[in-house]
Amino acid sequence: MSTTKSLTATKKVVIHLRATGDAPMLKQAKFKIPVMDKFAKVIDFLRRQLHRDTLFVYVNSAFSPNPDELVMDLYNNFGFDGKLVVNYACSMAWG
Amino acid sequence: MEVLSWDGTLSSRDFQAAARVFAENWKQFNPALPPWTWVPCLKQPSRLSQEQGYLSLEKICLLGSNKEDEQEDVDEEEPEPVDNATLIESAGPQVCYYDFHIVYSDSYRVPVLYFRGYYIDGQPLAWDEIEKDLPACSSKVLLESKWTFITQEEHPHLNRPWYKLHPCGTSEWMKLLFLGDESLATNGVAVEQYLVSWLSVVGQVVGLRIPFDMLNHHKSCN
Repeated sequence: MSTTKSLTATKKVVIHLRATGDAPMLKQAKFKIPVMDKFAKVIDFLRRQLHRDTLFVYVNSAFSPNPDELVMDLYNNFGFDGKLVVNYACSMAWG
Repeated sequence: MEVLSWDGTLSSRDFQAAARVFAENWKQFNPALPPWTWVPCLKQPSRLSQEQGYLSLEKICLLGSNKEDEQEDVDEEEPEPVDNATLIESAGPQVCYYDFHIVYSDSYRVPVLYFRGYYIDGQPLAWDEIEKDLPACSSKVLLESKWTFITQEEHPHLNRPWYKLHPCGTSEWMKLLFLGDESLATNGVAVEQYLVSWLSVVGQVVGLRIPFDMLNHHKSCN
């Protein structure tokens, strides 16, 4: 389909948010983010959308990215076709 | 181990195997930091045929926020000969070291991160001092998270109080992590992958990062 393009600083990546465990699904599960943004922005977006402070956020390679990582680096390692799948789960309640 | 039926834990033997691989790969892909070393213990020599032990990473300086000592006192108005005692007292931000141990928990069947902070002279850091050295996002959120919270208790092998990330949520999020990986779901849980994935979560609390190269190397080996 498309040749693999390397991301430049002006590009954006589509973040595809995936609910796992008992986390609620979002109405808006996809959004674009500049590649030079930090992963912390994705986490903050999730927190605001879900109204929760504590989330477990990870990507499809059994890996939880550090909030300081650049979206560009995460895409290059874990993304494909211009999108990065980010999974999230909510904290369990203590029982 | 099939991922779907896996409970997120691993056996003591698997932990040791994972620890060995993890330490080797860390040395290769994280040369800027000291290596993890395996410290054998003879805690229960008669009960178990295999040796116990834990992974140790010591004397790490965390790049936390430094105290704002402007060092205004130390300037050229002091023509006296250099006195080490004076220098230490008027020095700026104190250098603090951290030790990290990855210890297997028999009861939870998961690794647990123990850590402590101390000054150069060995004096332990108080919790509010440690909190300042932790990553900003860590101290705000992760410490209050149900998944990762910190308690203080006696180190299982050393008779001193250490801080630890409580393991009660570990198996749950380890299972989630592995479920999210298609290749693992197909090929089964790779024991060697366990500690890399585990530290990617736990390391965020204390500021230890897994380099992508290390993760990719693990994946290409599986």
